[in-house]
Amino acid sequence: MTDAVAIVGAAESAYVRHPSVERRTETFLAEAVVGALADAGIHRDDVDGLGVASFSLAPDHAIDLAWRMGMRLRWVMEDTNGGASGINMLQHAIRAIEAGDAEVVVLCSGDRMEKREFHLMTDRYNRVSRDFLAPLPLNGPNALFSFLTQRHARANGLGREDYACVPIAQRAWAGRNPGAVYRAPMTLEEYMESVPIAPPLTRYDCVPIVSGGDAFVVTTRERAARLAAPAVGIRTIRALFNHDQQDGDALTTGFAEIADDLWASAGARPEDIDAAYVYDDYPVMVLCQAVDLGLVDDGDLPRFLHRRLVEDGWPMNTSGGQLSAGQAGAAGGMHGLVEAVTQLRGRAGERQVGGAELALVTGYGMVVYKHGACHNAAVLERLG
Amino acid sequence: MSASFTVDVCSRCGYAAYPPRILCPQCAGTEWRRRLADSGVVEEITVRRPVFKRRQLPLGNWLDQSETRLGSVRTDVGPVVIARVPDDAEPGDRVRLHAQASTAIALPGQVAEAT
Repeated sequence: MTDAVAIVGAAESAYVRHPSVERRTETFLAEAVVGALADAGIHRDDVDGLGVASFSLAPDHAIDLAWRMGMRLRWVMEDTNGGASGINMLQHAIRAIEAGDAEVVVLCSGDRMEKREFHLMTDRYNRVSRDFLAPLPLNGPNALFSFLTQRHARANGLGREDYACVPIAQRAWAGRNPGAVYRAPMTLEEYMESVPIAPPLTRYDCVPIVSGGDAFVVTTRERAARLAAPAVGIRTIRALFNHDQQDGDALTTGFAEIADDLWASAGARPEDIDAAYVYDDYPVMVLCQAVDLGLVDDGDLPRFLHRRLVEDGWPMNTSGGQLSAGQAGAAGGMHGLVEAVTQLRGRAGERQVGGAELALVTGYGMVVYKHGACHNAAVLERLG
Repeated sequence: MSASFTVDVCSRCGYAAYPPRILCPQCAGTEWRRRLADSGVVEEITVRRPVFKRRQLPLGNWLDQSETRLGSVRTDVGPVVIARVPDDAEPGDRVRLHAQASTAIALPGQVAEAT
């Protein structure tokens, strides 16, 4: 997709539950930005582009955040696409750099997500949430994904012990991620007995709500070549929004329509992938996306779940994913990207995937009424 | 008291929309008329627990939140709506739909056969 651009650094702030009052959304965003620039070995003053996605930055916007961080910019953007915001901003940043509009772009996402921010986000997520869902009361999307899980379980003959494989496998990875909020290994018994949230969904099917931020740095291949550490190239990005106008059952995602083009434009096949970062707001969505993107051999979900994920420990969501590491609001849309970049640059410490050269990252989200409307995916590669 | 639950129907092609749209996703039409959607079948049910048990209202008071029984209801005119459902409602049940403020609430029982 682009021979001119590379990702050269990535970082995540600490993900925390119940942060002190002085740790605001912009605190977490700035912590991630500073971390990503340090990881890249690039000085703040070399940054000339900034993109931000956040549900709770208001009344501030990207320009206020830039000013608070002392940045002079030639390019600025704000993205509102939640779980798809990280890849969406990357798609824009690549074009900006290729066109010469900016040379060093920092993209960041994050939120302070406590009771107040959570209710503001969920109740005013959009007009439909405010007017048609929040007053039920709905209180966030858990019930909607409970319905989706029930449809999926019926259609595929799966039970809770099957869905359990996603959080259990990811928890095994989280044990090697000091930044994850859930790190202890999880047994099937623990999963089966966990607190119901919106049955059949229980606590471990829903992302732990945390505060935090993620960021990464995008620049020209020329500049990347002058940096010491390996860079990450972007083979392709493909996206589809409102694929079914909310009229479908959501078991087939927008990825089904873009998968062929995604792999063709990446010059790769699903089996070439060394690590996958599949947006994991709920276990069922991991499965829907994995099938639509061709990651599940013969569409055999039980084998994918029990053998590939749990027994073989196939590298998917190697940070523990949002289900173990936590969802810091809009940072959920960048968490997988940051982990993919960290792995491809060989900087994942104890959880480093050996020989990680090619990774798939997906973004999914923005429930406009019943399920997510935004789908995007990127194939990233280790350069040099 | 409850009011009639309605959906929007495209005047040009008959597409039934809920929640309302501006342009018809099917034919790009912009004229809509209301249509009664007072019955449907429950497809899925859940009992939603609040993410936070208590929440602060704008004036500083605290509201204790409770569990809510919610359902996905396929209306006889087409759209699937997310609604409050009765405590004893189960998937497969036929329900009557009413409007409660801007949302849908399902009540037990079958509506009189449409004429």
